Amino acid sequence: MRQEQFVARHQAEWDAFELWLQACGERVRARRPGDAPVGLDDGEVPARYRRLCQQLALARRRGYSTPLLERLQGLMQRGHAVLYRAPPPRWRRAAEFLVAGFPQLVRSQAGCMAASLLLFAVPLVGLFVLLQFRPELIHQLLDPAQIARMEAMYDPSDPRNALGRDSGSDWQMFGHYVMNNISIGLRTFAGGLLAGVGTILVLIANGVNIGAVAGHLQAIGHGDPFWRFVAGHAPLELTAIVIAGGAGLRLGLGLVAPGRRRRRDALVHAGRIGARLCLGVAVMLLLAAFVEAFWSSTQSIPAWLKYAVSALLWAGVLGWLWRGGHGTAAAEGDDEA
Amino acid sequence: MPPQAVAAHERTGTAAAPAAMLDTYREVLTPEGVALHLPAAGPVPRALAWLIDLFVRVAVLLALSMLLGLLGGLGQGLYLVGLFLVFWAYPIVLEAAWNGQTPGKRALGLRVVAGDGAPVGWLPAVVRNLMRSVDMLPFGYATGLASCLYDRHGRRLGDLVADTVVVHVAPRRIDPVLPPATPQAPAQVLLPDEQAAIVAFGERAPRLSAGRQAELAALLFPLTGSAGSEGVRRLYGLANWLLGRR
Repeated sequence: MRQEQFVARHQAEWDAFELWLQACGERVRARRPGDAPVGLDDGEVPARYRRLCQQLALARRRGYSTPLLERLQGLMQRGHAVLYRAPPPRWRRAAEFLVAGFPQLVRSQAGCMAASLLLFAVPLVGLFVLLQFRPELIHQLLDPAQIARMEAMYDPSDPRNALGRDSGSDWQMFGHYVMNNISIGLRTFAGGLLAGVGTILVLIANGVNIGAVAGHLQAIGHGDPFWRFVAGHAPLELTAIVIAGGAGLRLGLGLVAPGRRRRRDALVHAGRIGARLCLGVAVMLLLAAFVEAFWSSTQSIPAWLKYAVSALLWAGVLGWLWRGGHGTAAAEGDDEA
Repeated sequence: MPPQAVAAHERTGTAAAPAAMLDTYREVLTPEGVALHLPAAGPVPRALAWLIDLFVRVAVLLALSMLLGLLGGLGQGLYLVGLFLVFWAYPIVLEAAWNGQTPGKRALGLRVVAGDGAPVGWLPAVVRNLMRSVDMLPFGYATGLASCLYDRHGRRLGDLVADTVVVHVAPRRIDPVLPPATPQAPAQVLLPDEQAAIVAFGERAPRLSAGRQAELAALLFPLTGSAGSEGVRRLYGLANWLLGRR
């Protein structure tokens, strides 16, 4: 068939398809189910799209002119973009993910999570214990200015510690914690792309730092204000860092030991898992920032109440990660999202 | 069909994708069996788009700081939350919800698409933007640039992990108009790509100067047997005939 005849025969179809693309396909949200169809009926579109693909293949095979091919190609690509787009996120799905999907995902990566926990907790606990017996070692870990600042911050004889901050600086600290802590969590994950080395370094550095600070404050007798401050947000923050680290290690594993996948595919797979873990980590750190800014800082609350709330939170977080989504369909694999 | 013509058909099979010669072109087969053409964008337009985005972000932050500066500690806290959102959420939300484009990408005619040419989803948008912190290492997106130059489709590490590509948005084409001329059958059998070349000449030549038209038509003197404007007219005639106007 000559090109002109081919065009004359199908032109109307292409125009209708293009009209539909412009009117509804490319902004589906503006469209209500009751609206009159523009150009095409929505139900007809996939069939029309396949016809268009067939016509494009035919036109190519017959060597029709480049501008015609380009027009069909353009229509096809726009149609493809409409038909194969990802569904918009739903609030219900997001809630389900937080309640069930996220804990399931964490459990499905148990190995990486355990490794991350070890990398983080061993330096932390080790240093804490070590500093109780050899307090002078702190000078190998932190410089004097840091030590002085930290000692001043948690000085039990400081009257400010008895009262806490005013609400304005609470908000300021909230913003600070959101920006700082969530960024650190997300970077811990991204560091996994450096064959896991970035994540490992961040985990160990965090463990060393926290262990050193806690150990030193405990050793010099500033333990009480410190523990009262950290007890509230520790459950959320520490677990979130471990989970971000686990996601990062998973990513690094995709690069180092892709298993029976191509390295690229393993990375993409781990990236999808890691992204979902990061969404959960961001939410956890956001909550932690709330607690840290508005609860932990209020020194007037008695210690027993703070520790009770902390214990409750620990139980809640661990129970959520351990049992959340138990018995429902498993979340492993990255295909459903 | 003579064997020569068969061979020519085989040739057009590959020549039908002229883009294959350009190394930044990425072709993806859709489930329907036709190829999507994705012209991958290189580091320069992407860096420019990033600079525009940086400008937009800084402007937003300045406006925020001026408004929130009046609120004291609360304002500062909100400003830091805003800083967080502008830093992390800005590219993710815009790319996932606004057709794969941030304002900078829109200005430069770029778009993020999934590796299979479909619109980019939320998870890939999250991954490719979180990975920026690795692509930035050790300074100024050096890692991303190296990966961009090394990869065939100009992807930085974040794109590799998220399986996304940044492509040029094709400008809208106008439908070609072939100037009418008396259809004329060619004096000899033409191979399919020769036919395609003549039709392409017919569709593009009206946008060229008369002198250039004549110069191009003169190349086909052996076929048309005439040069100058007469040669151009003859070529138009051939193109019309090949398109089926009788």
